[in-house]
Amino acid sequence: MSRPNGMIDRRTLLTMFGTAGATAAVVSACGTSLKRDLNAELSAGVTGGKWDKAVPLGSQGPGGNPNWRPGDAAKFLPPEKIPTSGKAAELMASLPKEKLLTTYQRMSASRKWETAMKDLFVDGKDGLYGAFHTYVGEEAIANGVMTALNDDDYIASTHRGHGHLIAKGGSLDRMSAEIFFKDTGYNKGYGGSMHIMDLSKGIMGANGIVGSSPYLAAGAALRALARGTTQVAVAFLGDGAAASPYYFSAVRSSANHKVPAIFVIENNFQYMGVPMATVVPTKYISDYTKGLGIPHYLVDGNDVTSVYAAAKEAVDFARAGNGPSVIEGITYRWYDHSGFAGAKASVNGAMGLPYRSDEEVRQWMSRDPNVRFKTWLVAKGLVTESELARIETETQEAIERSIAFARQSQCPDPKAGVLNTHANVAVAATQFFNRSGLTISA
Amino acid sequence: MSKKSYSFAQLEAVAQEMRKNPDMVFFYEYETPVATLPTGEILDLVKEFGTRRTSGRGWAIDESWIVGTAIGAATAGSIAIARVPSMATIYAIEYVYNQAGKLRSMTGGQVSMPFVLWQGGGSRSKGSAGQHTEVGQEALYANLPGIKVVVPSDAYDAKGLMVAAIRDPDPVVYFDYPEVKAGEQPDVPDDAYEVPLGKAIVRQPGRDLTLVAWAPATVEVKRALPGLAKAGVSVEYIDPRTLKPLDLDTLVTSVRKTRRLLVVEHGHYTNSFGSHVISEVVQVVPGIKVKKIAFPDVPGPGAEGMMTWLRPDAPKIMDAAVQLMRV
Repeated sequence: MSRPNGMIDRRTLLTMFGTAGATAAVVSACGTSLKRDLNAELSAGVTGGKWDKAVPLGSQGPGGNPNWRPGDAAKFLPPEKIPTSGKAAELMASLPKEKLLTTYQRMSASRKWETAMKDLFVDGKDGLYGAFHTYVGEEAIANGVMTALNDDDYIASTHRGHGHLIAKGGSLDRMSAEIFFKDTGYNKGYGGSMHIMDLSKGIMGANGIVGSSPYLAAGAALRALARGTTQVAVAFLGDGAAASPYYFSAVRSSANHKVPAIFVIENNFQYMGVPMATVVPTKYISDYTKGLGIPHYLVDGNDVTSVYAAAKEAVDFARAGNGPSVIEGITYRWYDHSGFAGAKASVNGAMGLPYRSDEEVRQWMSRDPNVRFKTWLVAKGLVTESELARIETETQEAIERSIAFARQSQCPDPKAGVLNTHANVAVAATQFFNRSGLTISA
Repeated sequence: MSKKSYSFAQLEAVAQEMRKNPDMVFFYEYETPVATLPTGEILDLVKEFGTRRTSGRGWAIDESWIVGTAIGAATAGSIAIARVPSMATIYAIEYVYNQAGKLRSMTGGQVSMPFVLWQGGGSRSKGSAGQHTEVGQEALYANLPGIKVVVPSDAYDAKGLMVAAIRDPDPVVYFDYPEVKAGEQPDVPDDAYEVPLGKAIVRQPGRDLTLVAWAPATVEVKRALPGLAKAGVSVEYIDPRTLKPLDLDTLVTSVRKTRRLLVVEHGHYTNSFGSHVISEVVQVVPGIKVKKIAFPDVPGPGAEGMMTWLRPDAPKIMDAAVQLMRV
């Protein structure tokens, strides 16, 4: 049997890592194309308006229904258009044009980037592998929240994190390269989709453990208090993660200590294939914690103006030293929990999944948060269609450039696998390469 | 006796014991207990036992609840199984540590604990990274007093060890590694049977070297064995199946003959269960030659190249065996 590629003999290895001790000084094992330093390693008040379908938002929630059936999510469909008047519309419209264009650009980038990746995964030509959880259909929540944040505020994301990262200003080049597990990726190929992080932009990372974001965000918020800054931190989590004891604990203690953390629940009706309706006793997730006396917002999660208005109030409240808020957005994911079952290249949405009906998917896709925002921007006379069209073209080009960048980048050196576990030392390669057999004597 | 998938064999064991024990409960997250035979026969535990004895179509993502309440039901007198996915090992361990493993002792023997933690395992595979690649937590659990640990590596043992774990009056952590479910499986009897706890199996007899591995390292060991035979190394390959209590007699009998012990595992290197195996054997059979290969003390990286380099795969196992023969 031949040795696998990249396997080297023990003498070379020990030379590379200095000594054969338990640890050895780090020497970068990577010939890289990127310069890098391995060692530095809803209240009704803000909801835009009533929903026009069978169930007005807030009057009857999806929760507490053991008889939930595929198709029931269609009962919670928001209106076709975002209201152009009301508190949320006024707040959003008062933003500088440049800010509105940035919000639109990032929503568009999020959609187009994930859709491009979906096509690559489905097509299979690039040999992409690993987990990929799409945020398509939920972009209004990330972007509504991020529009209310400063660059130095923190966010803690989820396994469904791409949309949060792009909304907070993440680099498309480095995200694409990470999906390709290349050395130039955000995590240098160690992490992939579920772990992309950029602390320089306040992004505390996507995360593979459901329910991990509340403590990470609350910890960053406690640090802001300790340093005396007015930074806030946002924890994003799905309806499934809200069952985690970590969530309850974080909201309760943040309320008690007036911690400037904001908990944003993205309720898309199902965790994996299990309906939220059958595992949540209350109508909505944001009903859980109302006894704590902190602000709660239940919003149309496909309406970026409503999400922004709620987030703006929550951020102002937190910066003023009043503590946390909970925001719940009702939304819908167009694709499967993970991967691309039921999806096709160049076609939007995944069909034929057992836990939902194709009809509900089509109905929710007709409430596309990006299209609704575009229509709203034009109807309000804030931007022109040609300005938005130009943004979309430029965004598409940036995405294509990011994919080319990823393809051209180098794979990480396999031997980098023993780096980055500890700050300044490599894990000894003798742990998995053979050392001489030890003789244990009597 | 018939061909069954690994998953079917496991669920069949649970269903048969639930039929015998009307108080027995089975709690889980999203892994709805339904399996199908190639003949089309469907085993549906929700339909058969209802939503008071099972978690129906699934419970919320709250492993503390799933594990804690199963231990509560077991303390009160029911046989109880809690099934949790691989990423949830640490959520589960607190209640197993402080309640399941200690109540019998702390109460002077008043409490029986017929509890099974059906713990999903990870795999050292590309693309998942860190939190979803973990293997070897059997070493964490084996270190807890009062806890027994089993690690089946084929469908026959998967059913037999599940039955034995359910019937045992002590808490048993049952590791369920995905890698061993693929590929050809042995025939699985239709009736309930036990693979006794604490009983290893000699999967291949040999003279020169005793190789010890359990799920999921067994997949790579099987790939390495033909090459080692060709290289003229006669390997005696033992799968302990139960890690705690460990079948030291079978190991010692083999090593007394071969005088060489190689342990292969996919868990992390430091304080791995393999270290315990070596320590136990050399105390009884001094003067032997030993070697261990494991996954190093790094979170499994996502990129394929790094993962392949680190993983104790068949070529590394062959290298280790050949080197041990030269010592």
